[in-house]
Amino acid sequence: MNRNIFISFGLHIFLVIITAMSLPFLAKKPIDLPPIISVELIQITDKTNIPFAPKAKKIIEKVKKKEKKLVSEQAPPKKIKKQKPDAVPLPDEKIEKIKKIKDEKQNPEKEETEIKQISEFEKKELFDTNSIAALIDKSKTESAETNKKSDKVTQDQDKEMDFTGLTLSEEDALKAQIFGCWSIPLGLPFNEDLLVRIKLQLKPDGSIIKTEILDHARMNRPGQGFYKVLAESALRAIKLCQPLRVPSTGYERWKDMQLNFDAREMLEG
Amino acid sequence: MNLSKILKNAFLIILASLVLTACATKKTSTIGQLQGDVYTGSDSIEYLASGVPDRVFFATNETVLTTASRETLRKQAAWLRKNSNIKVVLEGHADERGTREYNLALGERRANSAKDYLMTYGISSDRISVLSYGKERPVDSGSSPLAWSKNRRSVTVKAN
Amino acid sequence: MLLRYLFILLVIIPTKAFALIEVDITRGNLNPLPVAVSPLSIDNKSKENFKKVLKQEDLGLEISTIVENNLRQSGLFNPLNKDAFLQEPDVANLKPRFEDWNLIKAQALVTGKVTFVDEKLRVEFRLWDVLAGKEMMALAFTTVPSNWRRVGHIITDKVYERLTGEKGYFDTRIIYIAEEGPKTNRIKKLAIMDQDGFNNKYLTLGNELVLTPRFSPTNQMVTYLSYFRNLPRVYLLDIETGMQEVVGDFPGMTFAPRFSPDGKKIIMSFAKDGNSDIYTMDLENRIVERITNHPSIDTSPSYSPDGKRITFNSDRSGYQQIYVMDSNGKNVKRISFGNGLYGTPVWSPRGDLIAFTKLHKGKFYIGVMRTDGTGERLLTENFYQEAPSWSPNGRVLIFYRETKTNSKGEGFSAKLWSIDLTGYNEKMVETETDASDPSWSSLLSN
Repeated sequence: MNRNIFISFGLHIFLVIITAMSLPFLAKKPIDLPPIISVELIQITDKTNIPFAPKAKKIIEKVKKKEKKLVSEQAPPKKIKKQKPDAVPLPDEKIEKIKKIKDEKQNPEKEETEIKQISEFEKKELFDTNSIAALIDKSKTESAETNKKSDKVTQDQDKEMDFTGLTLSEEDALKAQIFGCWSIPLGLPFNEDLLVRIKLQLKPDGSIIKTEILDHARMNRPGQGFYKVLAESALRAIKLCQPLRVPSTGYERWKDMQLNFDAREMLEG
Repeated sequence: MNLSKILKNAFLIILASLVLTACATKKTSTIGQLQGDVYTGSDSIEYLASGVPDRVFFATNETVLTTASRETLRKQAAWLRKNSNIKVVLEGHADERGTREYNLALGERRANSAKDYLMTYGISSDRISVLSYGKERPVDSGSSPLAWSKNRRSVTVKAN
Repeated sequence: MLLRYLFILLVIIPTKAFALIEVDITRGNLNPLPVAVSPLSIDNKSKENFKKVLKQEDLGLEISTIVENNLRQSGLFNPLNKDAFLQEPDVANLKPRFEDWNLIKAQALVTGKVTFVDEKLRVEFRLWDVLAGKEMMALAFTTVPSNWRRVGHIITDKVYERLTGEKGYFDTRIIYIAEEGPKTNRIKKLAIMDQDGFNNKYLTLGNELVLTPRFSPTNQMVTYLSYFRNLPRVYLLDIETGMQEVVGDFPGMTFAPRFSPDGKKIIMSFAKDGNSDIYTMDLENRIVERITNHPSIDTSPSYSPDGKRITFNSDRSGYQQIYVMDSNGKNVKRISFGNGLYGTPVWSPRGDLIAFTKLHKGKFYIGVMRTDGTGERLLTENFYQEAPSWSPNGRVLIFYRETKTNSKGEGFSAKLWSIDLTGYNEKMVETETDASDPSWSSLLSN
């Protein structure tokens, strides 16, 4: 048995040497350099602070209200299963397809409202992401995801362009701070709705005057004990993070803020 | 590419293929004590009487008797017919590469295979009882395919 | 069409000058929650009494140590070092100075008091939210002093439930097979211990082979397989009295026993003429019922927590797979379809998952799947491991592993291991000897 291994090994080495030596026999093709295109780098903050005409602003707010409703309605039905990276994913396709179909059903409405905005005032960015999402129909997964992303992007962009919200960088700073403070209770059931919304009243230096848990009634409902635990963990995170990383100007626009804690992304693995 | 280059490459490819085929190993082990997956050696075998081995072996997850097993059992049946007052217990075993409870059932099924065969050679069923040990009593404590094959067995034991 | 609606909304609903900013927080850290467990305060007289009765120097400290270890073992909490505590136990119990506890970064605080009263042990404890500066929970109870370890476990269960939303699993016991000796002739004994490894007791002497024990839901009785007099049969053992009896009067090997969720029946396999089928026996009227009737091997049955269905292991498709059927044996359905062999199915006490052992390409896996067979997740892989058993809150699995032996047959060992349902916190469970076939009891304090 050992002898066979050595013979096989030796022959394989011989083979490798031959292959290595045969490389020079192949003709070398010259490398084609593509023409250099100059790219302009834009600061995100510059872009996001562009104000709109007053009419546009009002309509955007209406659309935002509608979209918010869609978003919150969307949250519960999603049944996302947990999966570890090294798990063997078996009959998951069925569930994924159902999930994606649900996403798609709810998204077309959104696309309509966004396209309406486009016709009013040229928001090229919005239009692009949507058309790309519509065009790319390779797999249901991909289109659903780009839809999700574009939705998030549109909401954020709405806020920024709305001049009454946080800029992308301000929001990122606050998020990063709270990410570090929020100890997500590992014991939460990963297949339930894990969204808790907390309204804050803030002082100019970022410390908290008042907190209010929306869906307060849910905390004491039977079978929803984990919601109380989740809400308490969110409150602890906020308290731990005081003073919050708030923008240095424009106190009027962010003195009332709502934080939407959603643990599902972290827990589904 | 010109002709000489093509020929050179073709020659190298053919040579490489020949080299690779020379390395193919046989599927069936050349250890000499395993055939298919069944132990065929003489280690661990005891004898009920001269020329009568006390055990038969099985392939992984299998309970069918091989030709060699049937030969052994025929010898056992002949010996039992000659010694008509002797009763036996057939002890069935499994290797460690399975869940404990299923292995208990597997051992019982193996012992029963052997019992059924003995009965076709005229040994009455009230002389034969069956007992399964699952994977609890290996005869070889190693963790290799050879050790496992020695443990997949049904052993005939004198009961009186 | 939509424009019209927008226009109407514009006219009817007045607009706000500034919309409420919403920020989505979708990430956090999965670090164990930092919690401070203060030693329970104890007055000197009680201290003396407990020392006399229990031989423990400082019962307040001992009980708090049990709580601390339990919380740490769960993987969800990080109990802080006592040396850093600034407040004394008796002061902290009345009104903690939250700034002190905040300083050491505790987010929750456990304080309490233990007293010797009327020959009994009385304990009261409080759970505090340090950041909110509020009391979250306060409980008191009395028990016999010899139960002092259980007091620590019960406190942990309450704290765990309040902070995670899930029921705890600390006031429980584990029954298992303690084994010693060479692989070819293992001595096996029935053993029982607290879930944290203490109070280990042997229930049999090791004279006959014993295997696969299981707790009754009432926790008083245990069922297991014994080779007493070389006849492998299922037995019933009363832990309190030590009385043993054979289950039923079967003319052949019975094995793989479990209790029904109401504790009234034993379900097991019965092997005859090369075929193993599943049977039940009612413990009161002794009526035996046949559940499966198939020439294949049917074994390892496990009831759903509502008692309506049974999951079991069968090779009727040619190889070991997992099936589910009604508890009367009807509607048999296969639920395992992956590559490999599947065995030892166990239904979670929460009813939502079935844990199993899988063998594929020479490796053993412990995994879970939904009760319809979807969502298969493999939690851990090893040279050899099997037989998962659920903690009573359906969160943790305990199982056992064996090591490979070398060419001389040396180096064999079997140990208990546990893993969280999320795949985290995989660790060995310490036992005095080698161990296998673990089974987790339900909460003792029910």
